[in-house]
Amino acid sequence: MTEFYAANSDLILFAGAAAFKTLVFLNGVMGFTALLTLAERKVSALMQDRIGPNRASLFGLALNGLFHPVADGIKMVMKEDFVPGRAEKLLFTLAPFFALVPVLALFSVIPFGDYVMVFGYQLDLQIADVPLGLFLVLALSGLAIYGVFLGGWSAKNNFALLGALRGAAQMISYEVVLGLTLVGLLMIFGSASLQDIVRAQGRLLFGWLPAWGVVYQPFAFILFLVAAVAENKRTPFDLVEGESEIIGYFMEYSSMRFAAFMFSEFVEIILISMLASTLFFGGWQVPYLYESGFILPGGKALALNHYLVALLQVGAFSAKTVFFSWFLLVVRWTLPRFRFDQLMGLCWKRLLPLALLNILVTGAVMLALGKV
Amino acid sequence: MILNAAIYGFGGLAVLATLLMIFQRDSVKAALLMLLALLSTAALYLALSAQLVAILQVILYAGAIMTLFIVALTVTPAAWRDRQPAASVKGLLGLAAAAVLFAELLKAAAPLRAVAASREFAETGSLELARLLFGPYVFQFELLSLVILAAIVAAVALTSRRRTAV
Repeated sequence: MTEFYAANSDLILFAGAAAFKTLVFLNGVMGFTALLTLAERKVSALMQDRIGPNRASLFGLALNGLFHPVADGIKMVMKEDFVPGRAEKLLFTLAPFFALVPVLALFSVIPFGDYVMVFGYQLDLQIADVPLGLFLVLALSGLAIYGVFLGGWSAKNNFALLGALRGAAQMISYEVVLGLTLVGLLMIFGSASLQDIVRAQGRLLFGWLPAWGVVYQPFAFILFLVAAVAENKRTPFDLVEGESEIIGYFMEYSSMRFAAFMFSEFVEIILISMLASTLFFGGWQVPYLYESGFILPGGKALALNHYLVALLQVGAFSAKTVFFSWFLLVVRWTLPRFRFDQLMGLCWKRLLPLALLNILVTGAVMLALGKV
Repeated sequence: MILNAAIYGFGGLAVLATLLMIFQRDSVKAALLMLLALLSTAALYLALSAQLVAILQVILYAGAIMTLFIVALTVTPAAWRDRQPAASVKGLLGLAAAAVLFAELLKAAAPLRAVAASREFAETGSLELARLLFGPYVFQFELLSLVILAAIVAAVALTSRRRTAV
């Protein structure tokens, strides 16, 4: 047994580090998701001039509603777990997992920092540095459709099926745009590894402008954001669910099964925020912060401890994620819903040609600048 | 050791899912089993270090093509029947046809045994593929997209004819 450990010590160390990172990062994401459900209600309350949830308390301590996610969780667990009589039992049970698992798996390729040295070992602040990470994002987000579709179909309810059909049509359409908007970034950074993309964004343009993706591809960023919100199935693209009048794919779901669908929607918000900041806003990069510390364009330098630099980078990534999450919540409570033909027209007649045009212009500019 | 286990495990899963798909009477469930087979094939590619092929398998086959299959199948009347009609003589005929096909397949695959297993291993397989596709074969590659475009236009023209006739 000791021989086995000695022979495979690298592998075991790697697996242990990966398991630890997964535990910490995913738990962080889960905790943030729980807070996001509260933030959603608080933001909507703020925008509608209400107070919002503030009653759930622990030992008389309400903390302005901080315990509401916990109360929601308890409520979800206590609800009746209902399966319609004609439903496909196995698929009905599996569908929430189909919705949640691909989204959670995607966090493995997102770099949340550069690296930290722990006992002389270099610990990359990313669960898995996959060389084709960007493609993996597209592949797994494509699989998330099955959760929506199976949820609608397996309940054997006509309204649920109609919701699922709307969902499948919407998600397939916007996924094409989502993939095409990322092609320009792929051309510029020349790598599909998300960590490579973030490292490349640490450079400076003209000596002072951080070379973030949004500087190279401002147009692609807007297209990406629209397509991502549509993939997320939230207002103004919430025809899949349409909680106020048109009933959605999870209408037969209750209890934790429903919670899994709702949870996956909120996890997707975080995922979109993380992807937007990773691809277009420099990920964990802080402008002018390098491994040794701050070096300002004027030449002034401020040396910083390695751990402080790592902390600043992780903090910057978290701040960007929180900002985009907040932005997506505000969008959700600001814009009214599209009609279905508007939704499809926007995707195929507006966004798709624009995304293709963006690729063409990016290629032409790169050719003109001799960067090919 | 782990890789071999993964290769045999996912290979076995692909075979099992395919067999179950063939004997599944519910069309939607059959499509889902096919999805499982496609995904385990993708995992097989991954275990063989063909990352790009594995990811393309998931994006194109599992993510796009199978979704359309399943969406189309769920709106067929057969998917909403509670109990599927039992197979009769047709099933036996089908099995016989399958046996003939399987025998032919084995016969056709026999020469493959003589081929030596390739030991050459390119680390940058996707890069090489891209060079070939956009280098010497760029004309054929672009021609193919025109063929697909023509097929899409033809499909739209065929389906929209009824609407204009009204």
